[in-house]
Amino acid sequence: MSRARAAGWLLLLALGAMFVGWALAPEAALYRDWLTPRRMLGLAAVVKIGFLVSGALLAFACRDGLEEGNPARPAWALLSAGLFATLVGQMSLAPYQLVTGQTPFPSVGDLYYLLSYPFFIAAFLVFLRAYRESGFPIGPPAERVAIVAGVGLCATLAAVWVLRPVAAGGGEPLERILNVAYPVLDLVLLLPLALLLRIALRLRGSHVGAVWTELLAGFVFLCCGDIFFAYFTALGRQHLDPWVHATYLLSYGLVAGGANRQLQLLRS
Amino acid sequence: MLRSEAVKVMVKVLAPYIGDTMARSAADAHCQKLGIADGSLGPEQLDLLLAKIGSGLNIFLGRDKSAVVVGEVRRALADAGAGR
Repeated sequence: MSRARAAGWLLLLALGAMFVGWALAPEAALYRDWLTPRRMLGLAAVVKIGFLVSGALLAFACRDGLEEGNPARPAWALLSAGLFATLVGQMSLAPYQLVTGQTPFPSVGDLYYLLSYPFFIAAFLVFLRAYRESGFPIGPPAERVAIVAGVGLCATLAAVWVLRPVAAGGGEPLERILNVAYPVLDLVLLLPLALLLRIALRLRGSHVGAVWTELLAGFVFLCCGDIFFAYFTALGRQHLDPWVHATYLLSYGLVAGGANRQLQLLRS
Repeated sequence: MLRSEAVKVMVKVLAPYIGDTMARSAADAHCQKLGIADGSLGPEQLDLLLAKIGSGLNIFLGRDKSAVVVGEVRRALADAGAGR
């Protein structure tokens, strides 16, 4: 592992630990006197922007690193567009978080967060088509159907379990619609994600496998973050927000890390 | 060179890039598609097989890197006695 990569991992783990520590012991002296909730929110806002800028630019550089006509090229462009949309959403929230220490919800940022999902879903579908076109075995059709059906069934059951209290929770109608929309979009995202995870398993132990492990882990954390956010907001458990920040930080960091790995691979 | 020996050499070179499992199954799948049976592998068949593997690698690694990796496979096969 290169020094830069090791430093990146160390930074991500340190940030994750810092936010998990905040979630577990918010009354500890460290978080009461030094890393106050306002500072932690500001730190999360800045770091998320940093990871999203890196991820979006690196994904676009991956697109540029592939020749015209490469079926994976548009997928990297779509991934980059999704990360840019998320970045704009995060940048619209950051001034509130840095100045007032509050996160408005709903806000104009939600428009951009929602916009990112069609890009991510399209990116995954294009990646799947590209990998099928590669002629490399990506599993028999029956296996793929079984994976989609299994994940779809689990996702539907989880949706009913998670979304019922969210939909029935208090708040303005727009707030409730958004709280349902994010997890539903995540569950849709999970279907191509599961197929890509299956392919990533076949690539384990390799450079390409490492790219996909980081990218897909990032999206799994994104789904967890959205579900946590919807659940905690709907149930009025804002004290659990540190978990939401931790999952988003890990998500954006891992996606940026995966895109960076792919770029290094293309340029090596 | 026997097909099984050629596949073994290819897997050894490709494994760091796409993993042992994918490398082996890709080589076997392409052999099957190209109608390359068990037994001896001719130079034309080897070229066809490497072209197919190279075009698959393009998607993961891009054209330039893929060409480098296919070159590594060719050298490894030549060292193992499959050169023309």
